[in-house]
Amino acid sequence: MSNSRNKGLVIKDLKVEYKVGQLALGQMDLSLPEHGIYTIIGPSGSGKSTLLRAIAGLLPSYMGQIFFNEKSVNVKETLIGLVPQNYGLLPWKTVHDNIQIAMKISHTASISKQERENQINQWLSSMGISDLADRYPLSLSGGQQQRVAIARAFAILPTILLLDEPFSALDAITRETLQILFLDNWLAHPATTLFVTHDVEEAILLGQKIIVMPSNKEETPEMIDNELVFQMKHEDKRDSVDFFEQTKRIRKVMQEIW
Amino acid sequence: MRKNRIHHIIRLLFVFFCMNVVWYIAYLLMNHSILPSPFAVYNAMFHLGGQEIVLNVGYSLFRIFAGVVLALIIGLLIGLLMGRSLTWNKLLDPVVYLTYPVPKIALLPVVMLFFGLGETSKILMIMLILLFQIIISVRDGVKAIPENTYDVLTSIGASTVQKFWHVTLPGALSVILSTIRISLGTAISVLFFTEIYGTEHGMGFFIMDAWLRLDYPEMYAGIMLFSLVGFVLFLLVDFLDYKFMKWRGVQR
Repeated sequence: MSNSRNKGLVIKDLKVEYKVGQLALGQMDLSLPEHGIYTIIGPSGSGKSTLLRAIAGLLPSYMGQIFFNEKSVNVKETLIGLVPQNYGLLPWKTVHDNIQIAMKISHTASISKQERENQINQWLSSMGISDLADRYPLSLSGGQQQRVAIARAFAILPTILLLDEPFSALDAITRETLQILFLDNWLAHPATTLFVTHDVEEAILLGQKIIVMPSNKEETPEMIDNELVFQMKHEDKRDSVDFFEQTKRIRKVMQEIW
Repeated sequence: MRKNRIHHIIRLLFVFFCMNVVWYIAYLLMNHSILPSPFAVYNAMFHLGGQEIVLNVGYSLFRIFAGVVLALIIGLLIGLLMGRSLTWNKLLDPVVYLTYPVPKIALLPVVMLFFGLGETSKILMIMLILLFQIIISVRDGVKAIPENTYDVLTSIGASTVQKFWHVTLPGALSVILSTIRISLGTAISVLFFTEIYGTEHGMGFFIMDAWLRLDYPEMYAGIMLFSLVGFVLFLLVDFLDYKFMKWRGVQR
């Protein structure tokens, strides 16, 4: 039993200081089972992005430990798919090349060129952007760029998927389309996923568990189970009683700890 | 798109034609051997041996290329170092700051003393002209790349070389290309100076040789050919810009 408890993403005593004595992220202890999708909601400055950056290995230093399946996340086997808020596409590479380069770097020489091309085309079509393959990111709309960024993150078949407010810059309709598209793709390839958002509805629509970050960095984050809403069909979620109840509950937690 | 390009070429040819007309009128007004008519010059140009032209143009192009490539390699290394590392920037910035305003052409005698009259001094002079501009533009170009551009590649474990190749170099390329475009003019002028000593090939030599022989049509033909070399180099930079900067020009 203790073995299965250590499976998945385990964060122990994580603490991040940007300058000495200035906390960017207070004490974090989380144990997140594999193949789950966890939404993180919190006020600005609560360290949501810092948490993702720590897991992605983008911070020069942090205190505490981050394990995935009992191995430190900084080893090469733990592949991380990152979707930053600004999409993080290389503007000088076409849509196709952006995905290709990520695959090349993450899976050195493990698949043939033909196989890789097939996979790229498959991901492009599953995100509905096959016709954009040869376009450059600057010529695309925000929604289209975000589709590319998500396709790229999935294409490297990551063990951990990190999304930092991926849909917050998009208009409501585009956002809903992308939420559904993202969830469909995730269900087909359920990597352990942390999804940061500032939108309560989005947190409930997409997460199996919802982590509410406190505004006071000394307090511990609150974890709320959301399995009930998560199991529903996506179209039914918004109108359900459970969704409504969950919204009320999270707002209450937010009032307490923000 | 294609129509635009044809219009552009027609405009260029028209301007070229007008310049020749102005030249012809000046020739008629002056009526002196120091300004031959365009016809005499073109005639002289066509009577030059093909081999002679290729040899002289080839030498000039080779010197420019060698100088540019050398300046690019050294400039990229130093510029990158300064752009990516604060310590190196602090260390090298005063050096660049102090040496940048030195008129490099004034160093010609020094370079000749140290490296002789051969190819080395010629190529080094061109390199010197370009080097400092490239260092500064690479440094600023690299600094201007937002730090988070590297994030996704870093998170999937890209090596330093991979990050350089896919982020730093393409990110700084646009500044590098415009620097080369700007300093190419100066480099060609310096090439002329370096080709009037210690060589029997190159457009600079060719022009001065014709001048000494009082063969003015051939001298002008040489000047025109030399200009053509410059023009071809500009076209080359334009082509590189078109090839590598497509991503910038396709705003919605």
